[in-house]
Amino acid sequence: MKKTATLVCFLFLLLSFCSQPQRQPDEVRVRLFNDPENLNPINYQNSSALQIINLLFQSLLTVDLEDNGLKPLLAEELPVIEQGDTTTLFNYKIREEAEWADGSPVTATDVAFTLKVMMAPLVNNEQIKSQIEFVRDFIHDKTDPKRFTLVCRSFSPEMELLTGDFFILPEYLFDPDRLLKHFSIQELVEAAPELENNKNLIAFAGQFNNVKFARDKDVLKGSAGYELENWTTGQYVVLKRKENWWGAHAAAATTYLTAFPEQINFQIIPDNTTALLALKNKQLDVLSNIPAADFDLLKKDAAFTQDYALAAPDSYEFNYVALNTRHPKLNNRYTRLALAHLLDVESLIKVTLTNYGTRTVGPVPPAAEPFYNAGLTPYPYSQAKAENLLKEGGWRHEDNGWYKTVEGKKERLTLEVNYRAGNTVFENSSLIFQQHAAKLDIPVVVQALESSLSKQKSQNHEFEMTFRSLSGNPFIFNFKPFFHTSFSAQGGSNITGFGTPETDALLDAINAAQTEREKARLLKELQRILHEEAAIIPLYYLKERIAVHKRFANTKISGLKPNYDVSAFTLKD
Amino acid sequence: MVALLFKRLFHGLVALWLIATLVFLLSRLLPGSSGSENILLANDTFYTGSSSSSRELAYRAYLRRTGLDKPTFYFTIGTSVEPDTLHTIYPEADRLLLQKLAWQFGSWPDVVKFFTAYKALHQNLTQLQEPKLLAHLQSLHRSVDPDVLLPASQRLRKILNGQHGSVELEQATRKLITKQQPYNALLPQIRWHGSQNQYHQWLTEAVQGNLGNSYRDSGAVTGHIGQAISTTWWILLLSMTLTTLLAVELSILFVRKRGAKWRRAILPFLFFTDRIPLFILALLLLILFASPDFLQLFPVYGMGTYIPTGQTWLQNALNMLPFMVLPIICLVLVNLPYVTNQFYSSLADVSEADYIRTAKAKGLSEGKIIRQHMLRNALFPIITLLSDFLPTLVAGVVVIETIFAIPGVGRLLIESVLARDYPVLVGVVLVVALFKVMSHFISDLLYGLADPRIRQIT
Amino acid sequence: MQALYNDIKQLWRQKIAFRVALCYLAGFTLLAVLLPWLPLRYMPNDINLDKVYAAPCMGGSNSNWFGTDALGRDVFANTLFGARTAILISFPVASFTALLGLVLGTTAGFFGDSGFKTKRVHVIVSVIAAVFLVYLGLYVPIKARVLLPSNTSLIYYSVASLILVFVVLWGLARLLWVRFAWFHKPIALPVDQIILRIIETLTSVPRLIFILVLASFLPPTVPMLAILLALTYWTGIARLARAEMLKIKNLPYFESARSIGVTQSAMVFRHALPNMLGPLLISFTFALASLLTFESTLSFLGIGIPNTLPSWGRTIAGIRHNAAAWWLLAFPGTFLLATVMALQVTNYYILAIIQARKK
Repeated sequence: MKKTATLVCFLFLLLSFCSQPQRQPDEVRVRLFNDPENLNPINYQNSSALQIINLLFQSLLTVDLEDNGLKPLLAEELPVIEQGDTTTLFNYKIREEAEWADGSPVTATDVAFTLKVMMAPLVNNEQIKSQIEFVRDFIHDKTDPKRFTLVCRSFSPEMELLTGDFFILPEYLFDPDRLLKHFSIQELVEAAPELENNKNLIAFAGQFNNVKFARDKDVLKGSAGYELENWTTGQYVVLKRKENWWGAHAAAATTYLTAFPEQINFQIIPDNTTALLALKNKQLDVLSNIPAADFDLLKKDAAFTQDYALAAPDSYEFNYVALNTRHPKLNNRYTRLALAHLLDVESLIKVTLTNYGTRTVGPVPPAAEPFYNAGLTPYPYSQAKAENLLKEGGWRHEDNGWYKTVEGKKERLTLEVNYRAGNTVFENSSLIFQQHAAKLDIPVVVQALESSLSKQKSQNHEFEMTFRSLSGNPFIFNFKPFFHTSFSAQGGSNITGFGTPETDALLDAINAAQTEREKARLLKELQRILHEEAAIIPLYYLKERIAVHKRFANTKISGLKPNYDVSAFTLKD
Repeated sequence: MVALLFKRLFHGLVALWLIATLVFLLSRLLPGSSGSENILLANDTFYTGSSSSSRELAYRAYLRRTGLDKPTFYFTIGTSVEPDTLHTIYPEADRLLLQKLAWQFGSWPDVVKFFTAYKALHQNLTQLQEPKLLAHLQSLHRSVDPDVLLPASQRLRKILNGQHGSVELEQATRKLITKQQPYNALLPQIRWHGSQNQYHQWLTEAVQGNLGNSYRDSGAVTGHIGQAISTTWWILLLSMTLTTLLAVELSILFVRKRGAKWRRAILPFLFFTDRIPLFILALLLLILFASPDFLQLFPVYGMGTYIPTGQTWLQNALNMLPFMVLPIICLVLVNLPYVTNQFYSSLADVSEADYIRTAKAKGLSEGKIIRQHMLRNALFPIITLLSDFLPTLVAGVVVIETIFAIPGVGRLLIESVLARDYPVLVGVVLVVALFKVMSHFISDLLYGLADPRIRQIT
Repeated sequence: MQALYNDIKQLWRQKIAFRVALCYLAGFTLLAVLLPWLPLRYMPNDINLDKVYAAPCMGGSNSNWFGTDALGRDVFANTLFGARTAILISFPVASFTALLGLVLGTTAGFFGDSGFKTKRVHVIVSVIAAVFLVYLGLYVPIKARVLLPSNTSLIYYSVASLILVFVVLWGLARLLWVRFAWFHKPIALPVDQIILRIIETLTSVPRLIFILVLASFLPPTVPMLAILLALTYWTGIARLARAEMLKIKNLPYFESARSIGVTQSAMVFRHALPNMLGPLLISFTFALASLLTFESTLSFLGIGIPNTLPSWGRTIAGIRHNAAAWWLLAFPGTFLLATVMALQVTNYYILAIIQARKK
């Protein structure tokens, strides 16, 4: 027994010496909550992968987290848009300096190649394929290999972003045998069924779908400032700055074309508590999505705030409750308004988020001031008002319940509230709503649904009331997918079934608006109608909670994902 | 003995095949698939650059490419009211509606007539852009109750004045309801799909040692599993050895004459650790031994840091060692109570036997009696327990792997389940089952060796 | 029986620990039964948003003695009602699990591969009956429930036709039995092999998959999970019971009992079961304890179930969201520990009696 004890003591001593490995100061350690799994720029699976690919590859346009504005990245300037009757042309020019890892220039041919990969049959591109369904053709400039024009079907406001949103692949690495060279974009757009038997396409798909293009550091080399150095599944992904990267010598005005840290080390830590502990141990430099309660504790911790800067920017993550307006119980707007008055949003923010949320009257973020309709007040929590609204909705209060004749049957007002299993914020919110509704004799059943089942049920309009979240941005406000009737069929994204010809026209007008003022006016009108109809009950916009080590400056903390630009980090002194 | 061994081996293989088949079929019952998650159910953002119809097309292309559009098994036993071709109907929402109608009304031709009339009206109304009317039509989609369907279709006819095919819809509804044979669903029917099915393909590949490719990164499943096992291999092995050794030593200590006071002191402590949920125990250990607030002895997470230059395996092992201490302590603490208890109770049982008394009477020392006579006879429950131990460890480390951020088999399993990565999911279960079958085989062998009497019976 | 009672009475007088443990368990059961009639200040699911994470406090007229959780629910009320849930759900489930494991394990060990003989006709008819049971008793009702939630008549008809099929099969069996001698021949069923294969299969498929598959058909609730756990937990006990049975079967006194013509069931009940009691009681206690906290682990892995049923596991799991709220772990944890310890102590002494009597 004694021997073992001494041995254990000795081991402890030995280990305590090696518990804190030495670190380079200009290496940034960032926490990822899951493994990227797949770093292929065409068929990556999760947000961690996207964050890393953003440091390896570049798209034509990007969002600068400094001011959340859309900026040209690989493109020299924002595209010149020519709107026609049925088509819209986007004219791009790629930066003169832009080059691949081997020093060869990035040209229009690479862009065309990327589009071909995204469209080709048999290739593992199904996720991204439909993102560019509006692209009809591609025109090379006769004189300049860096200029090209995208021909797109009709026009919608997000097209500008979408035409510049995909990562450009180097043809020389992804298709060394030039198997796709002889296909035209138009040919692939038309997608004749015999293409699936084409020898070249089969060969290319066989190559591209291989695991090599998901993990191999020799192939995953783009035009951005970093290279994949090491990826140990489930543990870490290490990126190294390219030597002599073209972006470093590019025009001085581009403050967002950056690759400052020598090495970026992404640490994969699934559990929040562990990540927090690692941060306190200074094993991490950046941690986002800190649980609200812990964030408050960290703020009070003087020893911690000496080394780390905490920030809580307004994010564009919107939580709301969707009501199924097609359900006979809920097709009356007074009923929906009554439910809206039963949701104590102030308390939800206080209790479930410890105040890290901003109340909103509609889906437009309050941070986007010119477009936010400040003239509306959010639904107050009021049992009395809810009761009156229910009566106005045709419900009668008898034998401890609310009754109404629906489609020839006397029905009691009951509700089934569902949320995605595992989401504690939504779980607690539903329980609070349940208790408040019970005070008014409305029995509520709370149900946790497994994530994909919950999505499936909402898109098939098989729900009554559900808690959901939506991630937005400050520059594109296209609410058509959520409120336009053309998206309300089975499987569409307008899950509430909301919509009248007037609102459809309004949504179209918002997308076609030429001036910002006009757009603001229309958006405010939309918010007013949504507020009256209460097909969705807006809850709040979340505040992101981030900690970054104080030795870094220029962190570009922003409400937009991933909430900081790690490539821009510079060492203070 | 050799014949017995072969028999056991054969039984083991059968068990393996059964397990693989069960998991394969069960995994296909899970809601959603990797493809539908990413393609059909796009995440909510302010703009979606694609319509649901183009996503539907992409989804079907995906199913074709991965072979997921084929039937799952050689045959299906279903109800006679569903036609053979039901699984070829897309989108899946329509398929579900048809299925509901078939179960409710029992007459497939009438269901099809109703459905075509419904679709035609839907088409017409969409062209007319009449959202209010579409909502009426949707109520037909929501319920298959005859008391809802008939009034709804009548109302539609009235509103539309019999135009746009609403009369046809009402007639079809009426016919559907009057001609219903609701209990047709009780009649079973077997449908044969031949070898063009997912299971057959998977099995023929698996027999040749190819467990398929992951849906997430198209990497070989065997590679994924190999990597996961290699990271957690040492943790599992060390914790298992440590647990067994400690359990044997402790139970010997308890069974000694002077051991009573030890037992009274240690057993409650073991119970205490066993009752704490594993994640709380792990977090407690982290806060105690890896946080600046208390003792900062060990690194918090992971399995070593990245060091660019080449290293010998010894340096590597030394690099990894401090990372493994807390997970191993955790695993030992979790498994020790149960194992110790079982060992102790079987030892205590044996200590009452006559031959032990004889041995004592012969004046043998207590330690010798325990180690030479009692341990040998108490082996039975111990072997049973140990044979189940390794697989339980593999499946049970999920929580520890999550907290300590170790990419092991447990995490691979739970991630593949949550991402609906079927090939990896089935592969992991198969490998764990292989371990299990092997350990059962070995335990059967040991039974035979430990107690010659059993050899004759089984 | 009389002797056992006397032994217990003697123990009660002599051992304080035994007395305390029994008193605790009795009080615990009484509390669980009487709880709905007790004048409690708060109910376990009462949400109070003004008092979130209130620390324990003894004084005052509306203080929370054990503090409150993330939604301001009273931890004291939750601890008491958690005890009730433990008695009403975990206890029956653990007992059922132990019983199932015991019966199957003993059967496997006792009969082995050749000990269980039955007539051909029984085997054939049972197989056919099982097929119909799965189709009419499981497939059709579940499908009907999922596809047509409002249509219950289909389920009734399905069950009715199942009974009809059984009656017809029974008649058929009689007929075959009388007419054809071929059906009289006995076959040995490899009971041991069958049960071992089932155990292997069940223990190899992760429970998580069962839960997720179940969740895709029916909304997962705590009782549903309990049933699922019972159906997957019994394997450990069964293996132990089988091993013990194999051992006992070869002991000399068992063989001599057989030679003097004691019936099989009497042998199992009189001689085998008391010998197995030790390991079984231990397994039972462990199964019970893991049931008590299983749901907190589930919620850790993100497979939450909407929990309107107050339980210790639910309260304990709350500590993940606020590590500073120690009272969430401390109070339910103490009760959990005390309960298991009390069981352990009672087990220990009862085992001691049995062992003493064996001598």
